[in-house]
Amino acid sequence: MEISDEIRGDIVIASVRGSIDALTAPALTDHFNGHLSAGRVAMVADLEGGDYISSAGLRALLGALKEARQRGGDLRLAAVQPPVRRVLDLSGFTSILRIYEQVDEAVASFTP
Amino acid sequence: MSDEHTEREASLANLPGLLAFVEAACRRARGDEEACFAFKLATEEACVNIITHGYAENGRGPIRLSFRKVDGRGVLSINDRGRAFAPEEAAEPDLDAGWQERPLGGLGWHLIREMVDEVSYRSASGDGNTLTLIKRLRQTPDG
Repeated sequence: MEISDEIRGDIVIASVRGSIDALTAPALTDHFNGHLSAGRVAMVADLEGGDYISSAGLRALLGALKEARQRGGDLRLAAVQPPVRRVLDLSGFTSILRIYEQVDEAVASFTP
Repeated sequence: MSDEHTEREASLANLPGLLAFVEAACRRARGDEEACFAFKLATEEACVNIITHGYAENGRGPIRLSFRKVDGRGVLSINDRGRAFAPEEAAEPDLDAGWQERPLGGLGWHLIREMVDEVSYRSASGDGNTLTLIKRLRQTPDG
């Protein structure tokens, strides 16, 4: 798994590539926590390059989502690929997460 | 195709090797993308349970994987020597709960059950615990 960030105004876009599994999920949690600690609570995870997620990855997403929302922000997903989308669907995550086709749409969704 | 096997010590560091074995065996059996993704995910969930719960009390031990093709279906057996755990006792997660009520975790067995067509579990004193997962290798007849 590789993560690269882009910051647009108050919004951080974290592009996650590869596999979000039991080995890599803790690094994703640390990454989100770093942004949250720095006050960057509006986060977009760009999953265009994410090809796999397990329950450990779901835990990382849910943990970051909870922390962000408790601080008045959110974690929103963009460009989720079909295999990952299916895991999100089967886990009931599509009803609690806001998911957008494009990163730009996810970024725009933070603007009131 | 004959059975394919691998055996590794149960540790997170060995997880990529276990998953790579399952993915490659599924592809050699001409499994489609959906089937091989499903076997990989179910294997991760099962192996992480074994590593963190099954061997939690008595240290490490082996995980043995066997994959074979039977009548167009993949049959994966995951064997360990740790503490037994009956999957039917795993609580069903509440998938309609709001975000505040969602626990972090508790989705592993749910995903295993969703990913494959059949799940069975056997625990025998001499043979350890064996989880058997069965899934059709191609989701469309001509696919």
